[in-house]
Amino acid sequence: MAASFWESTQRRYWMFSKEELAQMREKLCDEDPKLDFSPIGHRVCPRESPRELTEYPEIARLGKRLGVRQQAIATAQLYIKRFYCKVEIRRTNPYLVITTALYLACKMEESPQHIRLVATEARSLWPDFLSLDTSRLGECEFFLISEMNSQLIIHQPYRTLATLQSDFYLTQDEINLSWSIINDHYVTDLPLLYPPHIVALTAILLSLVLRPNSMTGAAAASNIAAAGAALAQAQVGRGGMGSGTGAISSGQTTPGAPGATEKDKQQEARFGKVQRFAAFVAESQVDIEAMVDCTQEMISFYEVHEQYNDKATRDQINRFIKARGLDKA
Amino acid sequence: MSLTNPHSSSSAPSSARVQGMKRSVQAAFDDPSDRGLGSGYQSKVRVVDRYKVIGFISSGTYGRVYKAVGRQGQPGEFAIKKFKPDKEGEQIQYTGISQSAVREMALCSELSNLNVIRLVEIILEDKCIFMVFEYAEHDLLQIIHHHTQNPRCPIPATMVKSIMFQLLNGCQYLHANWVLHRDLKPANIMVTSAGQVKIGDLGLARLFHKPLHSLYGGDKVVVTIWYRAPELLLGSRHYTPAIDMWAVGCIFAELLSLRPIFKGEEAKMDSKKTVPFQRNQMQKIVDIMGMPTKERWPYLTSMHEYSSLGMLQTPMMHHHSHQHHHGSSKSSSASTSHLEEWYYRTIGAHAGSSTSSPAHGNQSGLASLGAEGYKLLAGLLEYDPEKRLTAQQALQHPFFSTGDKVSNNCFEGLKTSYPQRRVSQDDNDIRTSSLPGTKRSGLPDDSLARPAKRVKEA
Repeated sequence: MAASFWESTQRRYWMFSKEELAQMREKLCDEDPKLDFSPIGHRVCPRESPRELTEYPEIARLGKRLGVRQQAIATAQLYIKRFYCKVEIRRTNPYLVITTALYLACKMEESPQHIRLVATEARSLWPDFLSLDTSRLGECEFFLISEMNSQLIIHQPYRTLATLQSDFYLTQDEINLSWSIINDHYVTDLPLLYPPHIVALTAILLSLVLRPNSMTGAAAASNIAAAGAALAQAQVGRGGMGSGTGAISSGQTTPGAPGATEKDKQQEARFGKVQRFAAFVAESQVDIEAMVDCTQEMISFYEVHEQYNDKATRDQINRFIKARGLDKA
Repeated sequence: MSLTNPHSSSSAPSSARVQGMKRSVQAAFDDPSDRGLGSGYQSKVRVVDRYKVIGFISSGTYGRVYKAVGRQGQPGEFAIKKFKPDKEGEQIQYTGISQSAVREMALCSELSNLNVIRLVEIILEDKCIFMVFEYAEHDLLQIIHHHTQNPRCPIPATMVKSIMFQLLNGCQYLHANWVLHRDLKPANIMVTSAGQVKIGDLGLARLFHKPLHSLYGGDKVVVTIWYRAPELLLGSRHYTPAIDMWAVGCIFAELLSLRPIFKGEEAKMDSKKTVPFQRNQMQKIVDIMGMPTKERWPYLTSMHEYSSLGMLQTPMMHHHSHQHHHGSSKSSSASTSHLEEWYYRTIGAHAGSSTSSPAHGNQSGLASLGAEGYKLLAGLLEYDPEKRLTAQQALQHPFFSTGDKVSNNCFEGLKTSYPQRRVSQDDNDIRTSSLPGTKRSGLPDDSLARPAKRVKEA
């Protein structure tokens, strides 16, 4: 349970394969043929789930107004994901669900907010879509908890990051970057697909190979390549019959020629960290394939993010809310 | 299931009345309002379809507990905790679930251990929360109370040992999973008819792994006063699983002496809602444990209420003390602990007063608990939370590996049996009579005068 992810309800009931997720969503869609609006948010891959991209800034806006901590926002995001695994989104008012999830998550993360305050803030944030009073918020809370079978304790990658950051000698910049990558992964399906420690390790790896302002084009591609190489090394290291870590360190010559510039030194330091990381992964029981997939999903998420048209999705959501009168009911 | 109701054995009219009562207990679950009205939340499962309520057990600030059996072939009996919905006027409204209910729901859904009460399911229906638990026939409060009844007799040593082991085992599980119970006391420790001890009522429990805020910031007051650890009484801003271990120590002592070891009077919160120093309670502790000193407890001086200790009287325990054992070296200063004295007097007096011969062995006198019993007790009632035994350490204490063997059925070998939990058919109107405080129909209310529940949510 709380100490052990392996015995948690999160692992036992709320982790799915991509195929399972796709099936669940398809089933929801099929059950409601009458909801004849263009289907949104029913794609499996993170690169194709624009709905969450709209939801996220919205929940962040509400969270900011209420002064909610990131950890509680993350919990709320996962609640929303779980809920929409079981309930067709077009039957709901997403703004109400967002508000309720955040209200509930704050209680679970031991930083409760008064229900009236939450309702007031949400109303002023989305005046056109929410005729929200406390009793509707309270009712939606029942709905949410019921669909989640009261399984409200969430294991987050932040904890793994905090535990490992010193092991990998992460700089504050790298910690911050890992932290933001973890924040971002809640926008994707990854928290339903992989355990938190996989996500945390992926975030650390990316923080080691990604450079700031290098999220575009060729730079991104080379970053993926670097991350992939590190994981491949780790895999080789694991197969390498005890000589694993040795193979890794001897397989590459470190650039450290005399007269190395400051920049070179930094690069060297970073390179050493990647090595260290690869060695750690090789020696541990970590599912490297999961990390590879996780890395790819995150990178493609960032690519999609750049081209994403927030307004179109927003309009789509707002249209079905209005059409079905979900803002008033 | 026979309804052991005083009315049912008498004349016909009264049994008709019982029938009426029975219906209205059921009616408490059967709220017809709001059903089928449009798009609102509807439970997929109905409590009345799944369970047949057979009586009312107790009530508290949270709501009520009922005894029930399954209607759909679920084996066994159940205790259904119904959380009281809030009312605005006569209309029941959704007002948001209390944090303590959310905690209890989430934690109970996650926990799974032989010595922690098992949640069967949670049903959210008609603005009410129903938590369905496995039923436990007894609790420690009831068992202790039974032993004070005529003739007063101690709880058998083997039973004490088994209860303590199971209780510690449950605590160890909770703590290993980063759960603080924060309200351990005899009334919250259930015992099944098979002699299994189950920690119950996780309404105050919470996770303590890397909290976003200090624990003190959340709930200003935790743990029922008699079981509250000294660091809490002294206003510590941070606390640890050690607070549960203090409570376990208090429960151990109570199993031996059949009354709370530190039975203080609670100082009420004043109008400004500042948390008062619990002077009387601290005095009770000091009377037996001696004054805490910074030699014994290095962080003592940094406690928020450290200066208040000066208000206390130096302990007075001038009992006819026949200084036990190494009684010589300790000077009889204010800081001297009288726990050892208390312990031997308690187990000795019982052994003496009970008429059965000491040769009767294991089951009679408490004397067989011996010196290891004292060491365990002292280890749990250690002032310094950092030195206090952890649940893990306590489980490995020689107390459990020496002397009588520990059974996982605390009733093993026992000839006496305890009365079943009383369930009543009256007091069943969920709407009108919801007095605060833990009023139990199982006990006459109450020579023990237990302090009422604790929490003030911030």
